[in-house]
Amino acid sequence: MVQERRILYEHLDVPDINTFEVFKQHDGYARFEKAIAEYQPEEIADMVKEAGLKGRGGAGFSTGEKWSFVPRDIEPRYLCCNADESEPGTFSNRYVLEKNPHLLIEGILICCYAMGIETTYVYIRGEFTLGKKMLDAAIKEAYEQGYLGENVRDTGLNINIYTHPGAGAYICGEETGLIESLEGKRGQPRNKPPFPAVQGVFMKPTVVQNVETLCNLPFIVGNGVEWYTQMGPTYGDARFDPPKPDPNTGTKLYCISGDVNEPGVYELDLGLTCTELIEVAGGLRGEEVKAVIPGGSSAPILTHYELDTRLDFTSLTLAKSMLGSGGIIVMNETRNIVDCLLNIMKFYAHESCGQCTPCRWGTPWVRDIVQRIADGEGRQATITRPKFGVTESGRWGDTGETEEIYEDLDLLESVANNIANVDTMTWNTICVFGIAVSWPAVSYMRKFRPEFEATIREGELITLPVAEATVPPEENYAYQQRIIPKEMADLE
Amino acid sequence: MAFIKLNDLEIEVEDGTNVVEAARDHDIEVPHYCYHPGLSRPANCRMCLVEPYGPIPGAPPGTIGPARQLATGCTLTVRSAPPERKLEEKFDAIIRTDSQRVIKAREDILEFLLVHHPLDCPVCDQAGECDLQDFSYRHGHDKSRYLEVKNVPPKKDLGPDVLLYSTRCIVCTRCIRFCDEVSGSGELGLINRGSHDEIDIPRSHEGIPIQLLDNKLAGNVVDICPVGALISKDFLFKSRPWFMEKANSVCSGCSVGCNVTVEYKADGVYRIKPRFHEDINQHWMCDDGRLGYHYVNSDDRLQLPLKRVEEELVTTQWADALTLISDGISQVEAADIVVIGSAQGTNEDNYVLQQFAHDVLNTTQLGLFGQLQGEEHKFPQFTIEADKNPNTAGARTILGSANGNVVLEGDTLWEKVASAKVVYLVSGCPERPLQDAEKDALEKVDFLIVQDVLPSEVTQLADVVLPGTTFAEKDGTFTNSTGWVQRIRKTIDPPGEAQVDWEITQQLAKRLGGEIDYHFAGEIAIAISENVEGYGDATHKNIGDAGIKLA
Repeated sequence: MVQERRILYEHLDVPDINTFEVFKQHDGYARFEKAIAEYQPEEIADMVKEAGLKGRGGAGFSTGEKWSFVPRDIEPRYLCCNADESEPGTFSNRYVLEKNPHLLIEGILICCYAMGIETTYVYIRGEFTLGKKMLDAAIKEAYEQGYLGENVRDTGLNINIYTHPGAGAYICGEETGLIESLEGKRGQPRNKPPFPAVQGVFMKPTVVQNVETLCNLPFIVGNGVEWYTQMGPTYGDARFDPPKPDPNTGTKLYCISGDVNEPGVYELDLGLTCTELIEVAGGLRGEEVKAVIPGGSSAPILTHYELDTRLDFTSLTLAKSMLGSGGIIVMNETRNIVDCLLNIMKFYAHESCGQCTPCRWGTPWVRDIVQRIADGEGRQATITRPKFGVTESGRWGDTGETEEIYEDLDLLESVANNIANVDTMTWNTICVFGIAVSWPAVSYMRKFRPEFEATIREGELITLPVAEATVPPEENYAYQQRIIPKEMADLE
Repeated sequence: MAFIKLNDLEIEVEDGTNVVEAARDHDIEVPHYCYHPGLSRPANCRMCLVEPYGPIPGAPPGTIGPARQLATGCTLTVRSAPPERKLEEKFDAIIRTDSQRVIKAREDILEFLLVHHPLDCPVCDQAGECDLQDFSYRHGHDKSRYLEVKNVPPKKDLGPDVLLYSTRCIVCTRCIRFCDEVSGSGELGLINRGSHDEIDIPRSHEGIPIQLLDNKLAGNVVDICPVGALISKDFLFKSRPWFMEKANSVCSGCSVGCNVTVEYKADGVYRIKPRFHEDINQHWMCDDGRLGYHYVNSDDRLQLPLKRVEEELVTTQWADALTLISDGISQVEAADIVVIGSAQGTNEDNYVLQQFAHDVLNTTQLGLFGQLQGEEHKFPQFTIEADKNPNTAGARTILGSANGNVVLEGDTLWEKVASAKVVYLVSGCPERPLQDAEKDALEKVDFLIVQDVLPSEVTQLADVVLPGTTFAEKDGTFTNSTGWVQRIRKTIDPPGEAQVDWEITQQLAKRLGGEIDYHFAGEIAIAISENVEGYGDATHKNIGDAGIKLA
């Protein structure tokens, strides 16, 4: 049985950990003190790179590498903490903000020290009223104790933190959308390049980091890189010779919800399989796993025979899905995938910011098609059309055979792929919202096609037994193409 | 300079040029909606996607291939690269606008653009000059796969001259960016979100407008709207664009001298749109100039000469009017005659007038008449000048070009007029109110000859009125306040028997035995270039459509 490894959440349940005094008793700010006493800023950036910390917000981009893109000669630089946690199925940052806000402040201090940043904006999701209240109180305490403000702890550092509540838009969790919103504009992502690392808040170099990423920093500094890299697998990228290490180190706050007995946030090493995770969360509620969403609602779905996929950034990417924000939603045999897709598509159609054409008008269109299917009005359950090919006379033409097609399913796939193509991983949109729409749409439809077909055929929502509803492994596009990464140790 | 490969062309372009512009210069169309050269580039229409080439990650060095993602041509700029980053050892960039991926992407985007579009081209003003129509025809699908109900946002009245047909809007936000960046007034914004995005002005909760789109540059949003969403009330349902003829001209509304295109049919001028000039008006013009053409089509236009018979102005024939004038002039001394040119007239008009005064009448007393000073309006990227005449600078120079000529203006002019016996006043100013001093002075004149386009306070005082022409009915040149000499062109015929101003002056000169004999405006311009200082290059041929700046 896999055990939780609580690092970020270690002191979460300590009474009054949100106060400076109690936090200080539990090693609080000691890691920051260590950072400024023992390391140069560049050394900390190197440590983060060596530790292989990957951004926990969704994209899983190497934090150290991101920092290295920030030009050091342009002043001022900003740090933007992304606390706009709004991916459906994700709820881990919230506990940090509400229960242990000083940990976030310490992470911010270390990041600011490493990057020579004086101003930090914490963009908090508008619904997190308690989180904002707790964080504001903690910031106030930190100012009083001399950990923030002018000349922090007599080191000559000036570090200020400002909190800014969002107004409830999903897209403001996208880093450039967040920056626009922070600047007081309509929350619409910017066209990239330039990336925020070069031109971010007020067109100055900006580091945008998720709450969880920042909270990892004190532990990397406090316990050292070696300790940190022991947790989680380090894969080798076999395309390179010698294999290039691809670290998936550290712990991840997995938010497990859906049909499990004990849903909640579990802090576990990266690299566990879906099956293990469901076990940790008290086992499945119901008889069979029908599907698992591995990383928030925008991640492609996994079928019951893909449960051996390890839940880390690299493995899931190679399995044509993503870890995203770590919001894992488990579905048992009673769930209807068409209905699930409709739910998700309603969310995305509502949350599209409407800035760029494919997303603005494609997303509601996808929702409408799914709605039509779910309503039992999927166009002409099946239609037959002449099959073209090489005829008996050896010429190209009507072969006399017919093939059955489900027009609306083809349309759904085509429209979704026109927003963002999941096969080539290219999108015509400004931001990755496009792929967040087409990924679920296409993957649900392809992996659970029998259920979609049955719904269209019967004219009502049909929930098939798991085995029938799922496309067999040999027809599952993602399963066929998936690569299981090898750990560095095995490659050597 | 950057050396790039665009499709199969190998071309040199300026550093920092974007792909849309570079391609347009070489007759390659990269369709686009949100991009406008005069505005910022949000890249939100996604129509201008192109395929850049670059090194392939993981492949041996020197291998070039298409990038994984298409890039927007409006934001993709080309620059000369350092030697180690040149592609194929010589190119700074390799870009394709004709690959299968690009063609497919354009089709897909157009399909999305048309999902909620009402396709009401038969009743849409923009039909015929609509980017959505043109690009759909050239790059789009031929049928729709959309079965659901289309969004029907309401039609909105945004301001005095602008209507918004929200159904046709593709939310390219050009109009919003114009109001933010060029006019600086920021009236427009987006309301709602996602597929319910609508352009709107600020409104109260009851929907009552708090601020109208009524800045003096508001008409430009109609021009830059790539579809038929923003429509000018002035032009609404008046004509199909393809029925109108176009002529490149210059706005006569103020001394900025905005380059314009006059669109007209045989029965009058239909609209005026700005034309790009980098140094003068960029892409814009103001609404005063845009809507200021209506007097040209007025039914009240002077069509025949008028003479005063028993305190009444009655129509007469040209021969009669000219005889009256020549008789009146020959009865007085040269010193008692004042000839007043018009700042609304062309350089050519004023040159012939000046020749008439100097050579025929032997008077050096000239005056300059024009519209009253207006207000100056400054915008972040545009200025409307206070001088409401298009040619004050030109008329002043040219009237005073001959030896000994004095050009009087303001109070000194009216003092002079008050003591004169015969005044030949070329006005050409529509709706020009007379100030008290001017009125008093003109009333004292024994014999007042007025050449004008519309009945006005000035013509009320005249003894003989000669019907002249507006900027839309003659060829010529204007000199703006910054010294640009630019051409205006004849579009429609003058009403009735009205004649071009310099022709009237020339006929008068002939009556009085003068030897002025020009046949067309270009000939006068050559004379100007030979005789007026600074205008050495200002022949019509040299001026062309771009104009020339005086040294």
